[in-house]
Amino acid sequence: MLTYDILIVGSGGAGLYAALAARMAEDLRVAVLTKVYPTRSHTGAAQGGVNAALGNKDPADTWEQHWFDTVKGSDYLADQDAAELMCREAPKVVRELEHWGCPFDRTNEGKIAQRPFGGASRPRACYAADKVGHVMLHTLYEQGLRRGVDYFNEWMTLSLLHDGERCQGVVALDIRNGKLHTIQAKAVILATGGHGRIFWNRTSNAYGNTGDGAALAYRAGLPLKDMEFMQFHPTGLRRTGILVTEGARGEGGHLLNGLGERFMNRYAPEKMELGPRDMVSRAIETEAREGRGGPEGEVFLDLTHLGRERILERLPQIRQLCIDFEGVDPAQEPIPIKPTAHYSMGGIHTDLHGMTPVPGIYAAGEAGCVSVHGANRLGGNSLLDILIFGRRAGIHALEYARSVDFPAVPHDAQAAAADQIKTLMDGDSEETTAGIRRAMGNLMSDKAGIYREEKGLTEAIAGVAQLKERYQRLRIRDNELTFNTDLVAALELGNMLELADLVVRGAQARTESRGAHSREDHPQRDDEHWLRHTLASRGSDGEPALYYEPVVIARFQPEARAY
Amino acid sequence: MTEAINPKREKILANIRIQRFIPGSNKAPYFDNFKMEVETGMTVLEVLRYLKNTQDSSLTFRAFCRSAICGSCTVRVNSRSLLACSTQLLPILKDFGKSSVTITPMANLPVIRDLVVDIEPVIDKLARMHPYLVETRECIPEAIELECLMSQKEVDTFGYVTDCILCGACYSACSSVKADEGYAGPLTIAKAYRFSVDPRDSFRGMRIQASMDQGLWSCVQCRKCIKVCPKDTRPADSIRHMRKISIDDGIHDTHGSRRAIAYTDDVERYGQVNKPMLPVVVYGTKGWTAIEAAETGLQKLGLKPTREVCTLPGQEVAARLYAAVRKREKAKKVEKEL
Repeated sequence: MLTYDILIVGSGGAGLYAALAARMAEDLRVAVLTKVYPTRSHTGAAQGGVNAALGNKDPADTWEQHWFDTVKGSDYLADQDAAELMCREAPKVVRELEHWGCPFDRTNEGKIAQRPFGGASRPRACYAADKVGHVMLHTLYEQGLRRGVDYFNEWMTLSLLHDGERCQGVVALDIRNGKLHTIQAKAVILATGGHGRIFWNRTSNAYGNTGDGAALAYRAGLPLKDMEFMQFHPTGLRRTGILVTEGARGEGGHLLNGLGERFMNRYAPEKMELGPRDMVSRAIETEAREGRGGPEGEVFLDLTHLGRERILERLPQIRQLCIDFEGVDPAQEPIPIKPTAHYSMGGIHTDLHGMTPVPGIYAAGEAGCVSVHGANRLGGNSLLDILIFGRRAGIHALEYARSVDFPAVPHDAQAAAADQIKTLMDGDSEETTAGIRRAMGNLMSDKAGIYREEKGLTEAIAGVAQLKERYQRLRIRDNELTFNTDLVAALELGNMLELADLVVRGAQARTESRGAHSREDHPQRDDEHWLRHTLASRGSDGEPALYYEPVVIARFQPEARAY
Repeated sequence: MTEAINPKREKILANIRIQRFIPGSNKAPYFDNFKMEVETGMTVLEVLRYLKNTQDSSLTFRAFCRSAICGSCTVRVNSRSLLACSTQLLPILKDFGKSSVTITPMANLPVIRDLVVDIEPVIDKLARMHPYLVETRECIPEAIELECLMSQKEVDTFGYVTDCILCGACYSACSSVKADEGYAGPLTIAKAYRFSVDPRDSFRGMRIQASMDQGLWSCVQCRKCIKVCPKDTRPADSIRHMRKISIDDGIHDTHGSRRAIAYTDDVERYGQVNKPMLPVVVYGTKGWTAIEAAETGLQKLGLKPTREVCTLPGQEVAARLYAAVRKREKAKKVEKEL
């Protein structure tokens, strides 16, 4: 049996930082288990920046202002002690990363460069051109190689083991040869990223952002928090949901509906295209619903009036992106776009150390929820979250693992996983992963997407239950052991359905509109009843049970969120 | 006055020919043909996923971010190594003037299944390059309260290499890996170079040694890596730069560096390379065997071999160029020391 002091599941920024923080002390064995290769994790797709009040661009910036911006951006659902800690420690982790070789861009004085970002009162997003997530991820991987972190590449975790008192390890599948393994570990850190893929074809997320860690935790009896909050980005490409950054609108791009009307004057006549993300997303959705979209319900981001020269000079990368991924040259025709599910604010419930209620089990990054993002995440805070809480989880797990012996692992740990795979492979039925997955994406987009209301959400709850029932009958066609991506996709779908259920239930229960959660039948924020976190655990009947916990208010009293 | 938007979108019925292979189960690779409508905007990856979802769920390939940043989905389309996710298929079908396209796995690596290859060899080679920054205390403060100061210009000397997503397209296209599987490949040497010129690093000597051990001088500068790199990181250029810094650092006694030094010195002296004597300059006394064999060959053809090199007219121009370059390099060095 494989044995590690600390096992990290997931190899994005949070997982790799946790591994590094745990390995720096050198006395413990640390491994990262990932269903891809570490440098392929979705942290690499973050382009814009990582927030830290270094004051390099604006010396007047302070971590307290960053704190306030974060809390306000969260629509006051963030725990203020957690947000405080994150903003206070931010300069430290960014500098640590820079000391490890991360190639940030530079100011004229040779310091880390910073740029303005949506929702931030001062320029504090540290950047490296438009690839800051990519260089951060590679830096963390490189230092992990240096510090002797073990990597299990292309392994998928199937279950989390604990006895209610403490963590025992995991059961995982080696995708390459189809073999199951039990890995004994004193501490397990779940850092598997978000679950934007529950909206399947309507997300900016990678194919693999299927919320595996959150689903593992939920099945193991751990509570998930604030699952109803999913951030939508207004301008994803029509076909793929890949993001066209806000910069295109900042340069003067117009949003047109299928009739060619500049429709934002109906929704935000002053700010027009530069209104806040949630508002622009809702405007686009309304146009499409009321039949004013293009042939496929899309709207258009038009840059043609800027002229070819200006596009080539100011927006060359956005132009290339549209040509490569959509087959459209924005210098010649409008870009077809749709709002796209972008970021999961909710996740595995943890304390400030990233620890779950079961000692030894941790979560960090988008998979976890401390919560620092509340109902709506600020741009540049996701990369910061993974650094801060990846590091904290790694350090706490190190102390914990030093203080305990190796746990006993149940001898039949693998049996359930083996059964699960066997059921998926045996027999025959007409249900396919692709079919159920597509239905799930459509259901979530239609009934639990940008706009939500009671009737739709009730239908969504029933719809997800039906999909789960169809999933029980799913049989995969591919029976090979070698690199069976059909099997992996089916396992991922099982995870997504689990989480989709919690998203729609949380959304139905929350009868208010806050941040990314927008109820047409309850358009106002309701602090009296809903200034609290939703927690969801699997009840003894196998059904989710919702309960609530107060939000930590340390300094800032909730007020209206206006920009 | 507004005008309704009518986007132009086309469709072509295409034949997609894909290499299939499960080592151990199949005796040899074979091809499957799939028919489907390819439309405007469809990437190669979308086509693969469409086929997997609708025609054959056992079709196996890697894909993750589908936005050209993770480097998972490298395959070859009509023999060219590329990222499936950022390659539009319709223009390729039109370019080749036929409605068929062939998709095969990356070259130079063993197939695990269908379009999935084993990339561990690349990761192993990379790991041997010390591919991480080792801090130099002159540049990086011990205290976490302080930043390391460096100019944007310094960042830019290696910044373009940090665009590398380890997709392996260059490795798949590399002529030297094809000839010698022990060769490190373009991306790994580029990574070694990136850290070796980072002013924050102190491990350059180890990395030069590691890259020499893994064939720094084996690259034939065919520049195929530059042509296929989806991120324009120009690996062959980094390899040239890495060779230069190894010589600058005083490593003059390898075959490659001897050859490079002989080339530059000869051109200054004679206005051309003293090719007849190159084997001895590069390989020492072992080179005589090669020279004698060449001479015998020439004699058989009735040609008179020569070991002398004549000075070409215009040699003074070359010498002046050398002097100018030396002057510039000296000035640069002084500037750097200041």
